[in-house]
Amino acid sequence: MYKIVTKRQLVPHINLFEFSAKEIAAKTKPGQFVILRVDERGERIPLTVADADVEKGTITVVCHEVGKTTKKLGKLEGGDYILDLLGPLGKPAEIEKFGTVICVGGGVMVAPLHFQAKAFREAGNKVIGVIGARTENQLIFENEMREVCDEFYVATDDGTKGHKGLDFLKELLKEKKIDRVIAMGPIVTLKSVSELTRLNGIPTIVTLIPIMVDAMGMCGACRVTVGGKTMFACVDGPDFDGHQVDFEELMARLKMFTPQEKLAFVFHEEE
Amino acid sequence: MEMEKEELRIGVFVCHCGFNIGGVIDVPAVVEYAQTLPNVVCAEENLYMCSSAGLDLIKECIKNCNLNRVVVASCTPATHEPVFRSACEEAGLNKYLFEMVNIREHSSWVHMHHPKEATEKAKDLIRMAVAKASYFEPQIESELEIKPSALVIGGGISGMTAAMCLARQGFDVHLVEKEAEFGGMLRHLHKLQPTERDASEVLREAIPAVKANTNIHIHLSSLVKEVKGFIGNFDVTLQKNDSNELEQIKVGTIIVATGGEVFKPLGMYGYQENENVMTQLELEQLLKKGKLKKPKKVVMIQCVGAREKTGRTYCSRICCMVALNNALLLKKLYPDVEINILFRDLQTYGEYEDFYREARANFINFIRYDPDRPPKVASKSDTKLMVTVYDAYLGAEIEMDSDLVVLSTPLIQHEDGRKLSPILKVPLGADGFFFEAHPKLRPIDFTSEGIYVCGTAHGPKDVTESIAQAYAAASRAGIPMALRKIRAEAVKALVDKDICVNCDACVVSCIFNAIEAETFGLPNIIEANCKGCGVCAAECPMGAMQLVHFTDEQILAAIEALFKPKKLASSSESFDPIVLCFACQWCSYGAADLAGVSRIQYPPNVRIIRVPCSGRVDVLHVLKAFQNGADGVIITGCLIGDCHYIDGNMKAKNRVDVMKKSLGALGIDLERLEIGFASSSEGKKFATMMTNFVEKIRRLGPNPLRVKVRGD
Repeated sequence: MYKIVTKRQLVPHINLFEFSAKEIAAKTKPGQFVILRVDERGERIPLTVADADVEKGTITVVCHEVGKTTKKLGKLEGGDYILDLLGPLGKPAEIEKFGTVICVGGGVMVAPLHFQAKAFREAGNKVIGVIGARTENQLIFENEMREVCDEFYVATDDGTKGHKGLDFLKELLKEKKIDRVIAMGPIVTLKSVSELTRLNGIPTIVTLIPIMVDAMGMCGACRVTVGGKTMFACVDGPDFDGHQVDFEELMARLKMFTPQEKLAFVFHEEE
Repeated sequence: MEMEKEELRIGVFVCHCGFNIGGVIDVPAVVEYAQTLPNVVCAEENLYMCSSAGLDLIKECIKNCNLNRVVVASCTPATHEPVFRSACEEAGLNKYLFEMVNIREHSSWVHMHHPKEATEKAKDLIRMAVAKASYFEPQIESELEIKPSALVIGGGISGMTAAMCLARQGFDVHLVEKEAEFGGMLRHLHKLQPTERDASEVLREAIPAVKANTNIHIHLSSLVKEVKGFIGNFDVTLQKNDSNELEQIKVGTIIVATGGEVFKPLGMYGYQENENVMTQLELEQLLKKGKLKKPKKVVMIQCVGAREKTGRTYCSRICCMVALNNALLLKKLYPDVEINILFRDLQTYGEYEDFYREARANFINFIRYDPDRPPKVASKSDTKLMVTVYDAYLGAEIEMDSDLVVLSTPLIQHEDGRKLSPILKVPLGADGFFFEAHPKLRPIDFTSEGIYVCGTAHGPKDVTESIAQAYAAASRAGIPMALRKIRAEAVKALVDKDICVNCDACVVSCIFNAIEAETFGLPNIIEANCKGCGVCAAECPMGAMQLVHFTDEQILAAIEALFKPKKLASSSESFDPIVLCFACQWCSYGAADLAGVSRIQYPPNVRIIRVPCSGRVDVLHVLKAFQNGADGVIITGCLIGDCHYIDGNMKAKNRVDVMKKSLGALGIDLERLEIGFASSSEGKKFATMMTNFVEKIRRLGPNPLRVKVRGD
């Protein structure tokens, strides 16, 4: 059992959880993830770590309520317990001094992006942060990101705040010498960022979040095609070269269980 | 939205339809009942509601009673909905505030011997319609402008024909060809069948005509790099070959005429190992250039790399004619040449049968080979070959010397076609060729509006067929461009961006490419492409996506209204099940209508809810039906393969399969949920389906939740 130290609703349906997990906190590096179970009957939820506090012995994750299990998690409060927490999993992000790094994040993934952005800054990089969401009231971690970035931009799909979409990045990529781009968020975000940087040949690392079950390279549920080769996001990733990822396949694979997910969700609402 | 809700004022109009409804259903009782329903301020009856007297009655009541919703209970909306809708509009009521209840085809005509039950059913259906109509909102059918210019991709004979046809109708055409010259496959062909006309002669006429036409903008050595937008407003980016030179054009429609290429049989029959083994196309090129060395003994092998067990399983259609044509040309050039054609099945359809007769008359030999024992080709020297074939008729192996082996290989999709498919977001079939929306109903169209296909990009064809299809594509593309505008569906998808979680299930589920994900996942609905099937709404896990005029709120209101005031028989009385049937507005609703027209009787326990497509039926609707006390739920749609929204019925079936696995957890027997398919000509099948289902439910007994819900 792992204790929820704090729970905070960031925006409707997106919650921040700080779990007491001393051993995991001591070992977690930016880019890694954990898998948690709320109780015995739910799904295993993989979540990229948004922060780790070694002294307090806590890790922070941010979770979007998108189905039955995440909704169940959302109902828990500080002081409650979850069944288990497994981690850190996956390879840590490659943090070096590259020069100027753009960190682009969308939706709920802005939280773990902030963990990486901080690390890039500490490694001596100039960090340009770009965060986005479909609409203004869905933006999270704006202040947290602003704090760890040398330059900072906001974008929304509907233009309710900041730039509309990511087209403005084209100019930014033209004007400045960018050494690396990190993208985290919905697959469409990763895809459009990778398309933008492909023209300039800027190394682009994307964090993939496929359907995952055991997270230890055994079940194969999280397989993705990168550069024509099959990789497992859980052990070979979750970070991959954005110019090599088959995003279409990933998108189709993510929708494999849509009717089941909906059914579980609708039934859960009735419980 | 915190808008002030207007007070609902609903009018219900019940039609006798002479004796058709009134002879079975107690109309006055139904009218009296309708008056008691919530928000109903007037209920009227008429002998014929569709007569001018009936329509005037509706119009007067709208004005006198300030009605803001109208429900007409009469016949099928398939024929009479437009009539009543215009009456509403004439009285100043938006036509989307009108709902029709079918108490003739779906009640009086199919329950002729059960007047009491038919009357109760009419009351139920009206109550459901009133509940649903309470949630209606006025809708506008928006108009979209169409740019009168077309993009034709591919400058072969199909593309040039389509471009010329549109240009001569006065439309601007952008003709894009990846090569430096027009002509496509025809540049490589020699003599065309059946006329033996020189392919180059055809091009000598076609190319200058295209170049001289001022309406045609020529883009040679160019590729389509990116296409954005939708019918009427496509933004196209063209790229000059091997350069970064980009050009932007705007067009209203797109015709795909990218052609195909000939399969190269590497590793088969000594191809590219012996110089005298070649494809039919390579033979034609030698004949064309006059560089063929005179052969003595020619062997042609048919179906090389085609009609395979997996992969290229299709017949390439043209190879039999190509082989006969080339064999006859060889015979003409060198009358003493010996030609053996090894075939699996010779398919010389239509007038091409004459070729076969001519070939036989010219002593060309035909030997049938067994695909399980294909011929073998061995090199005796650099130029001499030995062909061994098992003759299926003779039952023995034959060996023959040869100095020219010609392989008939199929046309296949080429790399550029494959690359174009995701750019245009149009599908390729299992054979790799571009895949039309429907083989019979829309053979030239793609599912995405404003994009059409012709020529060998769509599958193997000869020149004549390619030209015919090019005219067809130009004709299809000409319709919206001539009208200059199209009317978008008012029944369309609508997303609530506050509930949406960026999962993009809707984007993936839409077969019409009507939903695009913005950069951070916000679904953007392209009204011009939306057909109003509602599949996306049923797929959306959050209920964020809705189908206007068929929202969850409206459908659930109808479901709840069916059960709410019901006094169910206590367990001591005999059990009379209530079965809810979702029927798609096309085939299955039509089948139910036909059952009525044909007076095919089925049990009066069925209540039909009309939906645009079976794919609109949400797991939530089914769950709510059971929770409210439905004893059985049956979803009906078009026959598999005949869905008017391509695969909505398949999605419905998939959903039913998934739901069946979970019903047990609710304590509901999975037999209580069923899906059935019927075409609109299958009234009998629909009635049988309902009879069998009601009987099955009767055997299963009452829905166990029903006891809980009703508390009896």
